[in-house]
Amino acid sequence: MSARSPRGSLSGASSAEVGDDFGESLKDLSANNRYEINNLTSIAKEYTEHAQAISKSLENHIKTTAPSRKLPSLYLLDSIVKNVGTPYTVYLGRNLYNIFMDAYTLVDGNTRRNMEGMLKTWKEPVPGSMETRPVFPLETVRPIENALIKARTAALQSSRQGQMQPPPEYRSTPTPPQHNGRYTIPPSHGQGQPYGYGYQEPNAYQQSVPSGFSPASSVQQPHIYTAPTPQPANDVANIKRDVATLISQHQAQFGANPFDAELRKRLEALISLQTILNSQALDANSLKQIRYQISALAAAGAPPRPTPQPSYSTPQQWQSPASIPQPPHLARPPIPYSQPPSAQPQISAPFLDPAALNGLQALLANGQKPGTPQMRAAAPALQNASHTQLNDVQNQTASAPATNAVDLIASLTKNGLLPPPPANSAPQVSAPAPAPQQQSTASLLQSLSSILPPTSQRGTPTLPPAQLANTGKPRIPMNAAALKTFRPELIHTLYDAQPNQCSTCGRRFLATEDGRAKKARHLDWHFRTNQRMADSSISRGAHRDWFFPEIEWIQFVEFDPSTTTAADTNAAAAAKKEKQKQLPQEQFVRAPAGMTKNTCNICFEEMKSTYSEELQDWVFVNAAMVQGGKIVHATCLAEMQKGQQQSQQGGGGSLAAALAAVGSGGGQQRQRSATPDSSLGKRKAEDALAGMGTRMRMD
Amino acid sequence: MALPGLSLPGLGLSQAQSSAGLYTGSSSLTQESRMEDLAPRTEWRFEVSFQQQYTIRVTSGHAELFGVELAPNQPYTFSGCKAAILTWHGCQLEVSGDAESEYLGQETEYAVEWLNVHGMLETARDDAQMHSSEGGPRVLVVGPDFVGKSSLVRSLAGWAVTYGRTPTIVNLDPREGLLTPPGSFTAVTVGSQLEVENGFGISPISGPTITPVKTPLVYHCPYSAPPEKPDVYKALITRTALSVTNKLEENSGAKQSGLIIDTPGTLNDPKSNYDIITHLVSEFSITLILTLGSERLFNDMNRKFGQQSSEAIPVLRISKPGGAVERDAAFMKQLQNQQIRQYFFGTSKDSLNPHSHTYSFAELNIFRANSPSLAASSSSMDMDASDAPYASHADFERMTPNMEMLGRLVAIKFCSGSETDEFALRDSPVMGFAYVSEVDEAKKRVRFLAPHPQKWGDRAVVWGGWPQAVTDLVGSGTKQY
Ligand SMILES: [Zn+2]
Ligand SMILES: [Zn+2]
Repeated sequence: MSARSPRGSLSGASSAEVGDDFGESLKDLSANNRYEINNLTSIAKEYTEHAQAISKSLENHIKTTAPSRKLPSLYLLDSIVKNVGTPYTVYLGRNLYNIFMDAYTLVDGNTRRNMEGMLKTWKEPVPGSMETRPVFPLETVRPIENALIKARTAALQSSRQGQMQPPPEYRSTPTPPQHNGRYTIPPSHGQGQPYGYGYQEPNAYQQSVPSGFSPASSVQQPHIYTAPTPQPANDVANIKRDVATLISQHQAQFGANPFDAELRKRLEALISLQTILNSQALDANSLKQIRYQISALAAAGAPPRPTPQPSYSTPQQWQSPASIPQPPHLARPPIPYSQPPSAQPQISAPFLDPAALNGLQALLANGQKPGTPQMRAAAPALQNASHTQLNDVQNQTASAPATNAVDLIASLTKNGLLPPPPANSAPQVSAPAPAPQQQSTASLLQSLSSILPPTSQRGTPTLPPAQLANTGKPRIPMNAAALKTFRPELIHTLYDAQPNQCSTCGRRFLATEDGRAKKARHLDWHFRTNQRMADSSISRGAHRDWFFPEIEWIQFVEFDPSTTTAADTNAAAAAKKEKQKQLPQEQFVRAPAGMTKNTCNICFEEMKSTYSEELQDWVFVNAAMVQGGKIVHATCLAEMQKGQQQSQQGGGGSLAAALAAVGSGGGQQRQRSATPDSSLGKRKAEDALAGMGTRMRMD
Repeated sequence: MALPGLSLPGLGLSQAQSSAGLYTGSSSLTQESRMEDLAPRTEWRFEVSFQQQYTIRVTSGHAELFGVELAPNQPYTFSGCKAAILTWHGCQLEVSGDAESEYLGQETEYAVEWLNVHGMLETARDDAQMHSSEGGPRVLVVGPDFVGKSSLVRSLAGWAVTYGRTPTIVNLDPREGLLTPPGSFTAVTVGSQLEVENGFGISPISGPTITPVKTPLVYHCPYSAPPEKPDVYKALITRTALSVTNKLEENSGAKQSGLIIDTPGTLNDPKSNYDIITHLVSEFSITLILTLGSERLFNDMNRKFGQQSSEAIPVLRISKPGGAVERDAAFMKQLQNQQIRQYFFGTSKDSLNPHSHTYSFAELNIFRANSPSLAASSSSMDMDASDAPYASHADFERMTPNMEMLGRLVAIKFCSGSETDEFALRDSPVMGFAYVSEVDEAKKRVRFLAPHPQKWGDRAVVWGGWPQAVTDLVGSGTKQY
């Protein structure tokens, strides 16, 4: 049964068989029994390679089972998407509207209320999870909500019930994750794992715990799979989530106003707070006070939520003629993929206690008003900033925050909100020193640098080295004397500084938002790859590709498909497109996880994702990403931009010229080249490209 | 397993690959496994023949192999490999399968040095990030054969990638390919993690791969040892340097990450006053020279390029790993055959289907790269006198296909074969390699095993004395046709 190879999905059973078996088991799910739900969730987790069949089976069951049995099956769905996550969220998300609404119309009022409560939790991340995205994309949940509102309005029920926002204290989830974060268990685990990983704690759902990311204390719950109930307001997970939300809002804001120092300061403060929350267990009182401060900050200083702007007002993307001279690489949307504005959970109404505004708020007292939408529209978007400007931002943000972060900790400590941080000494270059503690400025910087707007580097969109800078690594001079000293801090940078490890390939990720988002994408990638490798119709008949010619290789920007974001890929694709003068209908955008459909904001027609063999990923074809992460038809966009488009010159031309120039010995960047032996130097410039199969000459 | 549409009489070509690198649940089940506890800063050294399989799993702690961490609890299987699994933190390994030797190495001071070199390169990369005009470190690794140069390069690449860098690796040793069969130069900017079992991994294929592909630029170097043809070798170095330099100028991440160059031991040639190394240092604007293994080489390099010289390039003498062992001729031959085989057939994890193409003599543009070793190997064959003008001084010579090519690997160049000059022929990068599986002189046609279903038209096809003819791509002689 579990004779799977560690990396493939070579289980003996076919998907159809697994799906049928699962369907059979569902027939026993007659009541809200947590053991059964746990059990079935474990099976779903064990057989993620058959997720499609299992999802289909569950969907059919929910549709066909008696109304009294619908709620337990929906709870199972809820449990699977929260504890296993992708790809179930994808498969179950596709038809979620019908699954949900069909059931909703057939069940009684009590069950409906339970379903409504469950629905609300789908708009939020799994509490305690490392994943910051909501359980289902908002695009999936919103139509259901809208339908419910209509239904209730029609039924003349309480209009106050029609609020789309969850009440502020509403924080619980029907299915707290079994493991701390939905991605902690890889889809296919190595040899030696017993079947039924989830059975290891069959009685205890683990509640989210304050101590960072390690699965720790578990809280016993009654055997009933509980419907949502309010939780204490200062639940650490909630605070963390609110901080994360605030950070993402500030980030979005910061992306539009990269020179706003106050905004940056506030962002830094929030990030430091997040680091502290993630690295220390705080007592209830401290948490409460932090919560007050967050609320105050949300009320007083939160930037207006970015409103989706009609994309035709924002043509200054990488398609813009302005970016032609240095075409490809500057283009990066200011907002990290992991937190697109459309997916941001709205910050809840604050528990504003005016008397409690101390510490953090005091630090932020001078904060200026966030930019108005008009200002933001007028402000130079990050992707249009010059290389130098971007470098400046980078340098400022890299150097400035140290004191602020320290100030914040000092301030919080002074107010008794935090225990004093352990003294830590900076690692010395010559002497072995212990690795910096989590609370160190270095780690604050690290978490900060990883969520700041992307660096301006051209190329290598995957992992800007900047994000790993300042993790306390030593500066080592290039001489023999420095060679023999054992430096544990170097090992630290390769291991502990990146604590978040993929259990399939051993690759490590930072314990930051960005690191977690990358790891999530990475695990998705493993899953998709395994799925495709197992599909013999795809992997059979593969052949080695021809190698690249010089110009293509020179222009090719290496990227790691296992961690590349939609935005990155799009930037790379945009770069490629610029060089190849790609037709609009050939453009594509990698589909964000869980997004199978999208509406073009220009023509308002629906777009559906398809599978790309070349990219080994789901993509929207004839698509382009515009500001704010919105995906539109590339043809629509091109139509709109027609007027602005200037005569384009392929980037290859200048590069070809550069290569030819260097080939003729005239390149300036290679001061020591063209030695007397260099026979190439004697050649005419145009012959430098002869190797491309274009120009040949006989001697 | 039959290869559809491909019959290669007499060559024993088949898809029955050796099980190199294959993890099979059944085989490991039948072999007893044992646990080995490694103290911090020790390593587990092993030598596994091409016929053996050796599986290692980290059951606790952390361990790495040449700069790549092993995932916890995942079995890794090795075949045809001499390596060491190093632990900084201490670990427990579950070991199963067969090896020619295995033992615990206590002396890991070399690894401390290597890691410090990584730290030095990181410092230089940080500096490059601050002052973006300069670019990252450009490192040349030199030393005799079998002192661990390639292992050092792989470790430095692995650590850099772990750290989020995208270093460019250049292999100038034609005896052992990097992402390619032997007989090539490779430059590759590494944008994703290296592999434990398979180092730099796999170049692009038409289907999905277990690990992200790496995209090499490949030049053809049909000589086993550079001193055979120093001028051609140097020209190829220049060409490679041009492309690499241009790539780094195009891509700031790659530029800051710098480059690391691996070289063959034959460059260690005091008689020529290190002519080729001098050329390399100049063409790649080297900023750090690492010497392994030879004290004399270090002294010579230091005098020639070191801080006291006009070049003022730091020259460091790096310890060779305790586990570095000579790989004898038989081992190297098997390694080369495996690299050729894997180019066409892939590995057991990413298996590939090669394709058979038949060309008439008239359609082909074949060039022979002349060299002393080719002349030597061919003189033993009974050839037409008219077909063997090896005394010719031409580096490349157009020729009519003949039996001499049988079993050879040929390079398909991007340049056209219809009209060409010698320099273009020499410098054009490689589009792919093909294997000459049949030469029918009566019917005037040649059958090739090629990686790609597409034919290559009139492109130039070049072959030379290296790599040597492979009579049986499968190796062990399990003929299935
Ligand atoms: Zn992985
Ligand atoms: Zn449209």
